[in-house]
Amino acid sequence: MFDRDIWQEIFNTIKKNKLRTFLTGFSVGWAIFILVMLLASVNGMQNGFTGQFNDDATNSIFVRPGRTSKAYAGFEAGRRIQFTNEDFEYVKQSFPDDIEYISGRYFTSTSARYKSETGSYPVQAVHPEFQIIEKTIITDGRYFNEADFTNKAKVAIIGRKVAEDLFKNENPVGKFAELNGLTFRIIGIFIDEGDDNAERRIYAPLSTYQRIYGNTNYINQIALTYNPTYDLSKALEFSSRLEDLMKRRQKVSPEDQSAINVWNYAEAFDDISSFTAVLKAIGIVVGSLILIAGIVGIGNIMVFTIKERTKEFGVRKALGARPRQIVNLVLLESTFITAFSGFIGLLFAWLILSLIGPSIETPAFSNPSVRSSTVITATIILVIAGILAGLLPAIRAANVKPIVALSDK
Amino acid sequence: MIEIKDLHKSYKMGSNSLHVLKGINFSVEEGELVAIMGSSGSGKSTLLNILGMLDGADSGEYNLDNVPIKDLNETKAAQYRNKFLGFVFQSFNLINYKSAVENVALPLYYQKVNRKVRQEKALKYLEQVGLREWATHLPSELSGGQKQRVAIARAMAAEPKVLLADEPTGALDSKTSYEVMDLIQKINDAGNTILVVTHEEDIAHMCKRIVHLKDGVIVEDKKIEQVRAEQYV
Repeated sequence: MFDRDIWQEIFNTIKKNKLRTFLTGFSVGWAIFILVMLLASVNGMQNGFTGQFNDDATNSIFVRPGRTSKAYAGFEAGRRIQFTNEDFEYVKQSFPDDIEYISGRYFTSTSARYKSETGSYPVQAVHPEFQIIEKTIITDGRYFNEADFTNKAKVAIIGRKVAEDLFKNENPVGKFAELNGLTFRIIGIFIDEGDDNAERRIYAPLSTYQRIYGNTNYINQIALTYNPTYDLSKALEFSSRLEDLMKRRQKVSPEDQSAINVWNYAEAFDDISSFTAVLKAIGIVVGSLILIAGIVGIGNIMVFTIKERTKEFGVRKALGARPRQIVNLVLLESTFITAFSGFIGLLFAWLILSLIGPSIETPAFSNPSVRSSTVITATIILVIAGILAGLLPAIRAANVKPIVALSDK
Repeated sequence: MIEIKDLHKSYKMGSNSLHVLKGINFSVEEGELVAIMGSSGSGKSTLLNILGMLDGADSGEYNLDNVPIKDLNETKAAQYRNKFLGFVFQSFNLINYKSAVENVALPLYYQKVNRKVRQEKALKYLEQVGLREWATHLPSELSGGQKQRVAIARAMAAEPKVLLADEPTGALDSKTSYEVMDLIQKINDAGNTILVVTHEEDIAHMCKRIVHLKDGVIVEDKKIEQVRAEQYV
């Protein structure tokens, strides 16, 4: 196999049969090229869709109060439900095993001022654990901690845009800014990938805001992440338990759909997952069909080639070639051609992907790429198929009696 | 060199069986130049194919250089062919994408001769057939006579015990035929054993012995006065 002579023979044959070699190689290279592009496109779509959801932890649940739509337990319909710190603590105590992180959320807005710069920004007053639930990325400084929360410290974390607006070229961390006329210390800056608007936001401790603004214990929303070991069915079961509990506590009819809204990411994510799974399956099916087309193409050309060369093989046998040498010659040649042109197809696809891939960045499509293992597997399959396609005709050709091959009368 | 006893061969043609060789007894000494003659269907090509181990006999004995040739598998047959026999065909059967010298070197490749020696030997044999300057040409660039000379050089390159030529002049005009026969005679003069299958009288008379085949049996086997081809060239 690593005999230099046989390779010389093969290169000789290839050199002297350029068109045939090109045709064989082209069907292989083309199949690999299409396969890679197809898998990359499916991957790109998948990346695009999951990218839309990656902003938050994928195991998060949001509980929002609304208005009742049914009269229940002596209350009229249309009653507004309001969560409080007590509800928050109650949820937290009720599901110690199910909950990973939990935070209250209080939405408001503020006018902010630093030196002569002013602006108006939405504020989210939350618990420290909210950083993990929202996957907030701190680029400078820190998030507020339990101590800040307990002390109702007047600290704030501002988004990158807020920092640009108010502080211009100064580093905001450690500076004091005025929020709604009160002095807050800026302790951190965060960024949000993919969403500029989220960077115009300010985070502050919930306790601080509840004390400053009306001394309430109101919460607009409860955000939590469930135990990450849970699978989808367990996650859904937990969110329905959570919903039942909140409905009982707020004296809401179990049938009431609008009073309490429990929004489970897993559910939405499951839809996306099954969608991309279908896409992937389609990709694999179409990809294998193309592979089969490529294989049939190789087989076709191999049969034709060997038929064409039967006489040559007969001559070679008359000159003392053993059948195995004939088979080896044909197989090595076809394997070399398939592997080489498969590699060329691969290279082309990779080149195109790396040239145009990064510039495609839409919500539905991003970073089209394939795992190299997939591609290598496909190439190996194709090469093996090429060998198999060549094997049968090669063996048949090698076993043709030279007399039959040479008979020209 | 060659010893054949009671050789039989038949071909199945659908339900009929065609008895082509009906008991051939025949021997060839070293250094002979034998013409096997016969009209088409006489079995001469079949005999040559059996002699060349390209085909197997149904029954009978065949010894080549005191080696019994019987029940060979493909690999063994290939080895023997390579070691004992050189072939020259009517239609030359050069490999059309290989140059003259590559064609001549091919049997040496199957003898596992190393590349350098192969090249040298091939060129030497091309020189002998007078085609050294055509070494790098493809068969398509050669005339019929030149092609046959390349084929003879190829057959000789393996230094076989016996050279088998199946209608070597069948596809050539008479002038080129004589050139080829001249070459064959010279190779025979050097001591090589050669069998020529032909149906042309003049070609047969350029050999030293004529074996006449008819309907699968030898009807005549005589030594003759060789006509030298040189005088016609």
